[in-house]
Amino acid sequence: MTFDLTLSGSDLLLLAPEIFLTIWLCVVLVIDFSIKNIDHENLAYLSVGGIIATLVNLIWFDYVGVHGSLFKDMFVLDGVAIFFKIIVLLATALVLLSSIDYVKTFRFFRGEYYFLVMMSALGMMFMASAQDLLSVFVTLEFSTFGFYVLVAYLREDARSSEAGLKFFILGVFAAGLLVYGISLVYGETGTLVFSEMANAPGSYGLAIGFIMIFAALGFKIGAVPFHSWIPDTYQGAPTPVTAFLSIAPKGAALAILIRMFYVGLAAFKPMWVLLFVVASIMSMTYGNIVAIAQKNIKRLLAYSGIAQIGNVMIGLAAGTKRGSDAILFYLLAYLFANLGAFAVVIGVSNLIKSDEIEDYNGLNRRSPFLAAAMLLFLLSLAGVPPLAGFIGKLYIFVAAIEEELYTLLIVGLINIIISLYYYLTVVKKMYINEPTDSAPLTVSAPLKATIYISVVGTLLLGIYPKPFIDWAASATLMFSNIVSSTAATPVVLPVIGG
Amino acid sequence: MGSFSLLATLFAPFFGAVALIFVPNREALMVRMVAASSAGIALLASLYVFMSYDPNVGGFQMITHWPWSEELGIAFYIGVDGIGAPLVFASSILLFSGIFISWHIKDRTKEFYIFLLILAAATIGVFMSLDLFFLYFFYEMSVLPMYLLLGVWGSHTKGYLGMTDPEGVKLRDSVRFLFNFGANSKEYAAMKLTLFLSAGAVFALMGILLIYHFSPVHTFDILVLREQAKFDGMLADIIWLLIFFGFASIAPIWPLHSWSPVGHAAAPAATSMLHAGVLMKLGHFSIIRVAFEIMPETTQKLMPIAAVLCIFSIVYGGLVSYFAKDTKYVIGYSSSSHMGYIFLGMAALDYISLTGAVIYMFAHAMATGMLFAMAGWVYDQTHTRDIPSLGGLAQKMPFLAGAFIVACMASVGMPGTINFIAEVMIIVGSWDKYPIQVIVAVLGIVLTLAYLFRMMRGLFYGKLSPEYAHVSDTKDWVDRFPLLIMITTSIFFGIFPMHFYHVVRSTVEPMIDRIIQVAPVITQNAQGILP
Repeated sequence: MTFDLTLSGSDLLLLAPEIFLTIWLCVVLVIDFSIKNIDHENLAYLSVGGIIATLVNLIWFDYVGVHGSLFKDMFVLDGVAIFFKIIVLLATALVLLSSIDYVKTFRFFRGEYYFLVMMSALGMMFMASAQDLLSVFVTLEFSTFGFYVLVAYLREDARSSEAGLKFFILGVFAAGLLVYGISLVYGETGTLVFSEMANAPGSYGLAIGFIMIFAALGFKIGAVPFHSWIPDTYQGAPTPVTAFLSIAPKGAALAILIRMFYVGLAAFKPMWVLLFVVASIMSMTYGNIVAIAQKNIKRLLAYSGIAQIGNVMIGLAAGTKRGSDAILFYLLAYLFANLGAFAVVIGVSNLIKSDEIEDYNGLNRRSPFLAAAMLLFLLSLAGVPPLAGFIGKLYIFVAAIEEELYTLLIVGLINIIISLYYYLTVVKKMYINEPTDSAPLTVSAPLKATIYISVVGTLLLGIYPKPFIDWAASATLMFSNIVSSTAATPVVLPVIGG
Repeated sequence: MGSFSLLATLFAPFFGAVALIFVPNREALMVRMVAASSAGIALLASLYVFMSYDPNVGGFQMITHWPWSEELGIAFYIGVDGIGAPLVFASSILLFSGIFISWHIKDRTKEFYIFLLILAAATIGVFMSLDLFFLYFFYEMSVLPMYLLLGVWGSHTKGYLGMTDPEGVKLRDSVRFLFNFGANSKEYAAMKLTLFLSAGAVFALMGILLIYHFSPVHTFDILVLREQAKFDGMLADIIWLLIFFGFASIAPIWPLHSWSPVGHAAAPAATSMLHAGVLMKLGHFSIIRVAFEIMPETTQKLMPIAAVLCIFSIVYGGLVSYFAKDTKYVIGYSSSSHMGYIFLGMAALDYISLTGAVIYMFAHAMATGMLFAMAGWVYDQTHTRDIPSLGGLAQKMPFLAGAFIVACMASVGMPGTINFIAEVMIIVGSWDKYPIQVIVAVLGIVLTLAYLFRMMRGLFYGKLSPEYAHVSDTKDWVDRFPLLIMITTSIFFGIFPMHFYHVVRSTVEPMIDRIIQVAPVITQNAQGILP
């Protein structure tokens, strides 16, 4: 098999968003080097501009329906890839906007911060397109390198260094598992492309290989029992990085998980459904119960994120098109609620230099805007109508009940109540308790913009979700021939693009 | 015009809440005026809805149907039947009155009105939803504002039966959290209420999802489901029980009632009014709308559960009310006792008794709204709700004392108020099927008389403590006006109940027909006690 990389102009079109972003992030870096005393705020806006241009490009691709695959199916651009790229880029844009004030507190390497964030975003865009185990490995590592640096960015802060080290060691371990898993799968099937594995005979080697790959991706999305790095890393990392870490890599890794299990392992559905059911129940229950005891808002959001991933995995456990639609919608809802909540945390910590939940006492009196926004985001995370999270949860539950996954459904529903308790304790601190220091808090313009965008997203997805539900449903059209029963039926892979 | 009025009733409070966001908090009068005018629009529109509902046509009227998501089979589908229309009307009366009752709230006025308007609008939304998804959507949406209304603007209570306040009760202790009846902070009450109601909602959601999945058409549309969905065997029982107990937790039926008196006692007056007046009826209403409409056979089979549990509600609530020393506990427990009457009326599955139950929902909303409003006034003036330490307030508050007597009369079911008609219909209608329950219910009325009069005597008559020499009566029109609205409504429909009766009856009749024709039982054939 020769590996020719001849590319035509129309092939390169599929890569246009990535190529554009690559050029753009180099430009940002070069400007940072070459212009002395440049205002880093402008650098941030420049980066956001590039991200928005890429977003527009992708939305246009989705509208026109530019689909296809490159490099012997290693890189694929289809509905799911575009959806996840948009999620990653939205997250990146919002994170960059909310970083501006935070970055001002850095003593050096301010310009590089924006470069690193965009580079990670680029890696995750490639992840969303990975259709082959080799590209899974390469893109996953590509995106993670940026994060290794970003997590340890606060050089003077011991916590940040600790977080970086923990993340690095466990991340490298996960990478090792991933490579080993890939080697086992390759040994059993003789191929690395998902679609060619679909008809491979089952064997222990294949099963062990995929469990290892699942463990590595489970590490990325923070599913129990691969979650142990999450709370410390989230707490120690600079808050905008935590916000980024809490959504973008999860989205990109979920894109790989959906592709791998829906396409590559369709024949073994009963087995991996069990895997996801167990992981989902553990993640939801563990995340929610441990979150109750948290005193630090970043750790609380870390554990709540673990629980949310448990909810997402209900959709994977359903293993149907409805399940993948629900995951896509849920991630969009989670993106706005979670990034919004982190934006409020950034706003508060910029002003009072603390992430303790105790210090949120009386936030409503100090800044009605921040408190109201936080209330909205927390309730959306808890799944309260009319907010985005409610529709997301309902969608996931509908997917689960169509597959008659009653245990999962009952555990999921009970977990809503548990999660409501700890979200409401934060609400209680903000609204009911009296502040110890009643100086009013003011929020800077870019952060305000982030929060407003998140508020609008959270409300819009909750009140008028139809276009987004339709978008998610059309993005996953390629899964529409997955039969909606738990019977093991091999899937005939549709030809994607041409 | 009709469907436009219905939309206006639903959206006026929502738009009021949105508009309030842009009003600065220091413009307190402006904030109140915006809230009052949006509630006023809702009130007028709902009056039109109620009066123009045509009982000769029956069924669902003033329908609006907008597709919302074809992918999930959800439509924004609203309309009222003879059960929804009076309850929509009651909600907007209580909202309008509640806004004037809370006219003097100084702390974060704007936020208070925003949450109050959202609470009322969501409640109104449930009463007009013809889509299971939106029914749940509004239901859950009405629960959450309660948390903040109780937690921020509520007041600490003095324990269950007037026990002294045990300082330092830690709410985190999870066992005590569920079973500790002595805990008395408003935070505890708010958290308990929210979690209890959300847990109930989640069970109901499970039932709704099962209905969605096992119906032949994957839809949330109640009108389609009631024609096409057939459930039988174990599955039907499970769904029915999930729906019944999920929604009955807000009703609240014994033994799921423990959140309610604590919640009533901690809540500010306007919230208690809406809460006891209409929020609790969401339970009965949703059971009727979901269980009665979609699963008539199972309702016929399992509704006796409610007939058994309602005895406990009536007796337990009544007895606790009699011994409670906190005004709001008395009214709160009396509410949960009176909810037992509604369950009795529903359980008998009889034309007259179900009509009576629906009228009782409206009647109780007015009566309990008045009582809570006045208890709130007394608390604002005296800063205590401890009945033994009060007394002789009639000297200082002649108007309030008079209004209180009317409210007690209405609550007891004095002829001339609409409560009388409702109670008589429930008792007459259920006599054939549940004579024991009816006897208990009649004794319950005597008990109601006893504890309400006891409370009235304790508050308004006897010797005035010098401590309360400074208290004053309601003087401004903003304070008297809401009470007068509720009193007038109660008496007006007590004297002219015919339109009301026909409206409710037009919906109840086909519903009961569907339920009892499945397995006909000998029951009193309803010609109606009224001509």
